Amino acid sequence: MAPHSPGTDQIDTLLWIGFFAAAIVVVAVNGGLLFALRRRRSDQSPEPASRGRRTQFRVGAVLAAFATAILVLSVIYTDRAREARATGAAGLKSSSSGPLRITATGQQWLWRYSYPNEAFSYYTLVVPVDTDVVLDLVSTDVIHTWSVPNLAEKRDAVPGKVNEVAFRAEDEGTYFGQAATLSGQGYATMRTEVDVVSPDEYEAFVKQRKSEIQAAQDRVTELIESGDVP
Amino acid sequence: MSATRAPEIVTDGFPRRRSRWIEIVTGADHKNIGLVLIGAALGFLFVALVELLLMRLQLAIPENTFLSPVTFNRMLSLYGATGIFLFALPLALGLFYYLVPLQIGARGSALPRVGQLGLWLYLAGATVLYAGLLFTPSEAGVNPLAPLSELAFLPNNGVDAWAAAIGLVTLGFTLLAIDLIATLRNMRAPGMAWRRLPVFSWAGAICSWLLLVIGPVMLAAVTMLLIDRNFDGTFFAGDAGGAPLLWQHLSWIFFTGAYMLVLVAALAAIAEIVPALAGVPLANRNATIASLAAIAVIGTLAWMQNMLTAPIGLGWMYFAMVMALALIVPFGLVAFNLIATLARGGARMRSPLLFAIGSLSAISLGLAAEIQQSMVAAAWQLKNTTDATAATHFALVGGAVFGGFAALHWWFPKMTGRTMGETLARFSFWTMALGALLAFVPLFFAGAENGQVVDAYKFFDGTGVNADNLIASIGAFVLAIGILLTIANAILSRTAGAPAGHDPWHGESLEWFALSPPDPHNFDVLPDVRSARPMHDIREAIAHRTERPAPQPRESQPVA
Repeated sequence: MAPHSPGTDQIDTLLWIGFFAAAIVVVAVNGGLLFALRRRRSDQSPEPASRGRRTQFRVGAVLAAFATAILVLSVIYTDRAREARATGAAGLKSSSSGPLRITATGQQWLWRYSYPNEAFSYYTLVVPVDTDVVLDLVSTDVIHTWSVPNLAEKRDAVPGKVNEVAFRAEDEGTYFGQAATLSGQGYATMRTEVDVVSPDEYEAFVKQRKSEIQAAQDRVTELIESGDVP
Repeated sequence: MSATRAPEIVTDGFPRRRSRWIEIVTGADHKNIGLVLIGAALGFLFVALVELLLMRLQLAIPENTFLSPVTFNRMLSLYGATGIFLFALPLALGLFYYLVPLQIGARGSALPRVGQLGLWLYLAGATVLYAGLLFTPSEAGVNPLAPLSELAFLPNNGVDAWAAAIGLVTLGFTLLAIDLIATLRNMRAPGMAWRRLPVFSWAGAICSWLLLVIGPVMLAAVTMLLIDRNFDGTFFAGDAGGAPLLWQHLSWIFFTGAYMLVLVAALAAIAEIVPALAGVPLANRNATIASLAAIAVIGTLAWMQNMLTAPIGLGWMYFAMVMALALIVPFGLVAFNLIATLARGGARMRSPLLFAIGSLSAISLGLAAEIQQSMVAAAWQLKNTTDATAATHFALVGGAVFGGFAALHWWFPKMTGRTMGETLARFSFWTMALGALLAFVPLFFAGAENGQVVDAYKFFDGTGVNADNLIASIGAFVLAIGILLTIANAILSRTAGAPAGHDPWHGESLEWFALSPPDPHNFDVLPDVRSARPMHDIREAIAHRTERPAPQPRESQPVA
């Protein structure tokens, strides 16, 4: 994972913390097993039963401390990840108040993105760099999971519900993602792409999309009115 | 129970002897039912392996076209249902059902016909699931999340077959659990107080109570799904006022509970094997048993750990995380006590101990990865990647396959009167260990580093996961070879194994007091139980009476 947003930065740190916690567990259990097997028979010293209970409390306390440490670190970094994505200067002139809200609609097996000015795009999401973006995840059919690992956390789009994913991309570029919940035959091909561009390019993109869509609609209306429908 | 009761009448006249397979298949004796459950579970392990290998072949190279997307999804759905409902759970329950009455000194189970009905419902469920092959099996995945499993999206009857099969099987397990609880409650031998119950029987009680809680939840879920699909219900339909998340809650409660059940059963079997082969009593027996009970309760309460990306409140996510992380304490205590027992005694490194240690090691790998999976923000990255697949497989293959094989090697002499071949067992173990590492470790990397998603019928070139998947596919084949070696070993040893006496391992619990295989009535005489190690007491008493030192554990292969 190569984080390109403040939120995923924090998550990346937490992932490393989790990795070390897991490594400690694996080393402790397997090291203990190896140690127990290597110990020779002559070393055996039957432990008095009274000491057993005290040992048990001590081991339990160590384990509880370990678990609490992981818990506290998880809460801190989860909080930071949530904070990180919600702060910072909005780079857009048009939406100076609040984040840029885009609706991402999951449908078998394509993502549709609707921008605030009623422009929309399929497969590719275009967002401005250094801007808070909130995706409202909805689904028209089954559950889909929106996931672009290097940019944001993954979240489920559940029919009948609105789920939210927020991020702020720090670097321009193209990021790939793939839907992460089995959604039927075309599931493996349900991918998406996020193009992070400068705010000006973003404004130009949605304006152009909007006019293209308008032009297409006008053309359709024209054809219908002229009775020249193919 | 009073010590002066009249002798039990075991048989009235001489019943007509039927051929052995009719006895096994139709008898309500707990041993026959247990054997059929164990045998069927091992058979379905083979079937699950075939399905896994087909999927791994498809995923060996990028953008493979070996399986069509539909076929892949069907294999996936069958694999999940087979692995959990037809292999892991019945193996654990079959072992409990066979051994608990023997361990507590009972002459049978309390409600034999209820248990028999449980077995038949399980077999009926298995038949229904695989009858789906005749038309169209489910394509909805391991856990068929609504609304994908609704009629609108999968209009063929595969999901109906899945739901009916899971309903039958779950009902069967619930009945077996009822019989186990009644047996444990009422049929214990004189002096067999709860505090003297062997750890494995304790686990039988814990797992049965757990099944009584989670089994009905799954039954409710599949019933609602069937109503949705066949009678215009809208329980889980997202567009008609239903709640797709309701299915997730209900099904994850069951799946998480089942996960815990498999681990509790495996750890309890290990806790029988380790002390006996180390020659010392289990360290901190009471704390170990209490920890197993805590795992069942706390672990099941962590069901929302599977829903950390769903639209649920952050508070619920933290609740799931607290429960999942709280599991570190009981799991850690069990592992510590097992290791302490091993360290204190001198290990006789026989095949059951080898598998037991492998099981503990694999479970530790899986659960360590689950720690990472349960940290909320980390889960936002890791959920539904192959990292989760690897964690689940390490824990469940470690518990059900390695742990199940440890139990199989351990109790095989009791069940058949013969010992499993030691050389083949060792060869099988190391093959399996190598295969498991090759098959699942690369998936950690593919999932955590490159975000390869679960359940997908293909992956794309250039996503950095080609090598990981190829190694995983090779590993799956190695693992399968190892597993098949043990299955072959069991089949061959049934007739050709070295004959074992009634107590080949120097065990401590009462099943080793019965003959191998036990008579239909289990025991001719029941000893008074005076401690948690009745066989140890019996050996001491015999030594005292004959004024010879109590026999010491032997290093060599036991021969009757």
